[in-house]
Amino acid sequence: MLEWARFVLSALLLALGLFVLASGVLGVFRFRQTLSRVHAAALVDTLGIASMFAGLIVAEGFTPASLKLLAVVAFLWLTSPVSSHLIGRMEVTVNDALEKDMRVDDPEAVRREKEGE
Amino acid sequence: MARVRNDFEGRRWQRFRAWLNEGDTSLDSLLMDAVDGRSSAPQPAPSAPESADPGAVNHLPLSAVQARRARAEKFSRGLYRTLAVLICFGLIGVLLATAAALPPFGNPDNPVHNEVSRRYIEQGMAETGAVNVVAGMILDYRAFDTLGESNVLFTAACAVLILLRLGVSDRVRRWERDLDARLYEPQNDAILQTLARFLTPMALLFGFYIVLNGHLSPGGGFSGGAVMGAGLILYLNAFGYEKTARFMNYRVFQTASCAALTFYAAAKSYSFFTGANHLPSFINAGIPGMLFSAGLIPYLNIAVGLVVCCTMYAFYTLFRKGDM
Repeated sequence: MLEWARFVLSALLLALGLFVLASGVLGVFRFRQTLSRVHAAALVDTLGIASMFAGLIVAEGFTPASLKLLAVVAFLWLTSPVSSHLIGRMEVTVNDALEKDMRVDDPEAVRREKEGE
Repeated sequence: MARVRNDFEGRRWQRFRAWLNEGDTSLDSLLMDAVDGRSSAPQPAPSAPESADPGAVNHLPLSAVQARRARAEKFSRGLYRTLAVLICFGLIGVLLATAAALPPFGNPDNPVHNEVSRRYIEQGMAETGAVNVVAGMILDYRAFDTLGESNVLFTAACAVLILLRLGVSDRVRRWERDLDARLYEPQNDAILQTLARFLTPMALLFGFYIVLNGHLSPGGGFSGGAVMGAGLILYLNAFGYEKTARFMNYRVFQTASCAALTFYAAAKSYSFFTGANHLPSFINAGIPGMLFSAGLIPYLNIAVGLVVCCTMYAFYTLFRKGDM
């Protein structure tokens, strides 16, 4: 019974991860603006990887291998949002048609970013 | 700021088109000296070739200049295409002939299935002292091959240095660099710096762990050196060139990679004279599985790791900034 519950939980987490990965890939290819695409890609690296690895950890049990998987998740959660943040800043810096593409709440901040202050 | 860059590129491109299409000879001298032409001289009118300096081309009528340039362009383009196709087909022929001469796949009589690999697998640990058989192969049995690989890496770094490093007098490229987009990259990003403060020591430590345990576990000089180089590049991105140059600059690169390669060559180049045969090592192979074991392998791993780390970092800085 417990084995079955573990299997079902692991399968559900893996399915959720696969769904997030698939939608992230779809977003990367279908969104038109860089910031939207960055959002989709960041989703894959955080929620998608985390649920996949959570499923694997549930299937594996508490072993050294699952600790390593946890370390991988921690590493990706540290690095991937930072790289997305940097890509977003770079986009704001170099895209001159930003206001045309989307609604900008704080034009002053965008100007400061562009001037490199 | 990005607008400045776009405007700069647009102006140069326009001038080039004008020179190519409209036969504007007044631009010939300006294109030779792009810096002074761009910064001081105003954009000359393309329709007034009489006002330019007298040159040999100026005696010809405008249409003749145009026709000659068009002919030359067409000829060179055709030549390049023909040569590219010929060379490509030549390469394909050589590779196909080589592939056809290979023995069939999976044949037990193939040259790879000889006593050498069996010897490596069965007696590798006893003979080299390395638990990691691959490390025993590449750094003990076949160490002179790895010496060649390290030299390839070093030669590539030298070539990139020659091609991309900016000299003091290289004003044009330095000036172009200052107009480049990467100057307007987000600098001193607080989020990235917070992460790098935590992650750079981890990456360096992990890389060094991989290098030191190269004879005990998967890994070794190449992979560990790549991890260490990545840590250095992360630190560079977060804190900028001034802070990184305090511990990693051209002198350090030069010293580290040359010393590592010289050590490697001194330790293993005798293979070129003995015909890849072993000399008895005066370093004890030790107990397999201990950190200080496997004879020379850990030290060679450290040398390879240093070369790889320095080369990765040098490639990054040279491609990005043109200097270290």
